[in-house]
Amino acid sequence: AAGAAGGAYWVDSQQKRYVPVKGDHVIGIVTAKAGDVFKLDVGGSEQASLSYLAFEGATKRNRPNVQVGDLIYGQFLVANKDMEPEMVCIDSSGRSSGMGIIGQDGFLFKVSLGLIRKLLAPKCEIIQELSQLYPFELVLGMNGRIWVKAKTVQQTLIIVNILEACEYMTAEQRKQALAKLSGN
Amino acid sequence: SGERLCSAEEATAGSGTYTRHGFIFSSLAGCLEKRSEDSGLPVVSVVRDAESQLLPDVGAVVTCKVCSINSRFAKVHILYVGSTPLKSTFRGTIRREDIRATEKDKVEVYKSFRPGDIVLAKVISLGDAQSNYLLSTAENELGVVVARSEAGVQMVPISWCEMQCPRTHTKDFRKVARVQPQFLQT
Repeated sequence: AAGAAGGAYWVDSQQKRYVPVKGDHVIGIVTAKAGDVFKLDVGGSEQASLSYLAFEGATKRNRPNVQVGDLIYGQFLVANKDMEPEMVCIDSSGRSSGMGIIGQDGFLFKVSLGLIRKLLAPKCEIIQELSQLYPFELVLGMNGRIWVKAKTVQQTLIIVNILEACEYMTAEQRKQALAKLSGN
Repeated sequence: SGERLCSAEEATAGSGTYTRHGFIFSSLAGCLEKRSEDSGLPVVSVVRDAESQLLPDVGAVVTCKVCSINSRFAKVHILYVGSTPLKSTFRGTIRREDIRATEKDKVEVYKSFRPGDIVLAKVISLGDAQSNYLLSTAENELGVVVARSEAGVQMVPISWCEMQCPRTHTKDFRKVARVQPQFLQT
């Protein structure tokens, strides 16, 4: 499908493999700590680098508490086909604006990039309907990764299954599934 | 190599040889060469190749091809020293602060070079333990001479910092070399 907004045209396509783009917000998994820099797996062809100073309020003495295996929500500062991608958890004015280390617990899973774009659209129906079911925390990464945390493990897994199934369900089927769950 | 060539009284030691205990030995694996000098004794030398390898010297202008870039430096293969091609390529590094002479802090390696570009550079140091020559393009006559656009077409320089693709008309940033008009082929 093509859309026009103020003279810009783009072509929407479906894919699962993520290619880093400058400015995209993604969820990365810390794979290594090498001195002043963390290496993150973002699902692309190369690992992204993240400096320990690229967090809000980080100084050489006040380092962020990042361990291997942690989840980080950040955006790409540098992303092109010739160089290793670089990430930061801080925006251009120096504030974190929701980026940083994602807390403990919760569940991380992978979906296609098209579904992420659908969920990120303003007034997304899926998210509104799910929030009426249970309260939960949600982080969407443009690299196809979603992190969910609800009050109990069972609620978390139910939300995960619905989001994964939204890939192939029509709106009608989704409303039916949610009605059954809230009825229980 | 290591063979005893002759006695030190019969000849003088030349390049690729050394003298020990009154005899001349070869220090290289190669061909023996005996030249007669006017001043009496012939000169014995050992040559490895038919032509001696030309090594880039400090201050020499070299032609190189960019193989990879980084936010701090660009790695290149040195192809020509002056106008002579090298039989085996040497490795070189152009650090971010050596790309331009002015405004060194604002330099972005991604906006100066890309992998595959042909660059004219000057040798500033013979390099570190990894035998990477240290190169600089901090002059008007140094920088990118040949670059291809994303479409695969050779780009035309517009200014010292931009090149344009003649087919798609997209502009790309490069640190362009100001080549003397007599060297340009049209």
